[in-house]
Amino acid sequence: MATGAQPRAGIWTTRWTTLTLVLIPVGIAINFVGKFVAQALKLPLWLDSIGTVLAAFIAGPWVGALTGALNNIIYGLTVDPVSFWYFITSVGIGLSAGIMARLGFIRTTARAVVAGLVVALVATVVSFPINIYLWGGQTGNVWGDALFTALTLRGVPLWLASFLDELAVDLPDKVLTVLIAFGLFKALPRRLLSQFQLGEGELRHTA
Amino acid sequence: MRPVGLYVERRSPLHALDPITKLVYAVCLALVPFVAGDLRVTFVALAGNLALLAVGRVVREGLLALAGVGFFLATLFLVQGMVYPGNATPLVSIGPLVLYREGLAYAVWLTARFINLTLSAFVLLFTTRPADLVEELVRAGLPPRAGYVLLSVLQIIPSMAARVSVIQDAQRSRGMETEGPIWVRMRALLPVLGPLVISSLVAMQERALALEVRGFGAPGPRTFYRPPWRHRIAWPVRLAAVSALLGALIWRLAG
Repeated sequence: MATGAQPRAGIWTTRWTTLTLVLIPVGIAINFVGKFVAQALKLPLWLDSIGTVLAAFIAGPWVGALTGALNNIIYGLTVDPVSFWYFITSVGIGLSAGIMARLGFIRTTARAVVAGLVVALVATVVSFPINIYLWGGQTGNVWGDALFTALTLRGVPLWLASFLDELAVDLPDKVLTVLIAFGLFKALPRRLLSQFQLGEGELRHTA
Repeated sequence: MRPVGLYVERRSPLHALDPITKLVYAVCLALVPFVAGDLRVTFVALAGNLALLAVGRVVREGLLALAGVGFFLATLFLVQGMVYPGNATPLVSIGPLVLYREGLAYAVWLTARFINLTLSAFVLLFTTRPADLVEELVRAGLPPRAGYVLLSVLQIIPSMAARVSVIQDAQRSRGMETEGPIWVRMRALLPVLGPLVISSLVAMQERALALEVRGFGAPGPRTFYRPPWRHRIAWPVRLAAVSALLGALIWRLAG
């Protein structure tokens, strides 16, 4: 190790341990509970991906993507079959949240807002073609669909109206989701987080 | 606390059928309208699914669950009736709003396709215990670790949901407001989610240790607690479901 650059934890490196595997169901359960609390407080938001984002912050993009994917699979297999279609959206949320975290966007609140905007954009870009295919462009959210109708009647192309419909819902939802996950992440004990980080010794094996 | 999912404990021929066969059926029948691209075929599939729900004695539960999305389906008719790009023939006008025939026909198609998808899934979901489905999937080749992840979600969610109400009560007694304007309710999110999420993540370490002590990471094949689920008509049903999907494809190609 005397010569050459010191290997660094890359964006994609993941430490696969039993703890990582246990993080995934806990993340999925947090997604579920976030949605449950948002409904209990009658908030006009979904807040159903806090756990996916948190898992991605803690253990990187791959774990985030896997949490998102399994979230929609288990949801589709138990409660809501339509969630299978949006499986790819969840994967996008997990991947983008993990990449932003590894790029250093969860150091300050201001940066976390930027990370939230990126996640919202990714979620929108992935979701709106599915919305067009399944629902003729609607999202099922009353405010977003009202915007969609108003825009289309004024001659805005369907794909753009559908994109803006989804964005109108996803922008506040995902920015708030990322900020909540950021706040929770900051409150986690370091002892827990250190078990997911690639230590120096670990890296020498993989390098 | 009620377990997660739509499963209804009953005795019926459908409940006795093995989970994989029902999964194959649900996937094939849900896809039939997407492949066939035809409304009449969709109605045939829909009728078949309703009949099967009757065999499983869960029609009432299925229709009740479907009623939850009734409002969205109504907006589908309203919005597509107005803005569908192919709209040409005005049919009804309500004040300044005009609903077109083409848009409404499109909404009928989207709705029928959606209801068929949901009812196909219900044939599986209402009659199959999620734990049985996951166990059979592992037997069919799903990695046991993935099986663990799926199953443990089903155990963690009820215990976390139960803790939500305890934490909510505790924070309310400290003065947290859960009603009022939206920003007041928004502020209640962190005091509820914070303790819940952090304690679950900390408890995760113990869970991981407990699993490792019991040989979770051990190499070698896994054994099953229960014998494989065999059913006389499993293969005929699977074949019928796959041929229905193939039939839909032929229908599409034959135009």
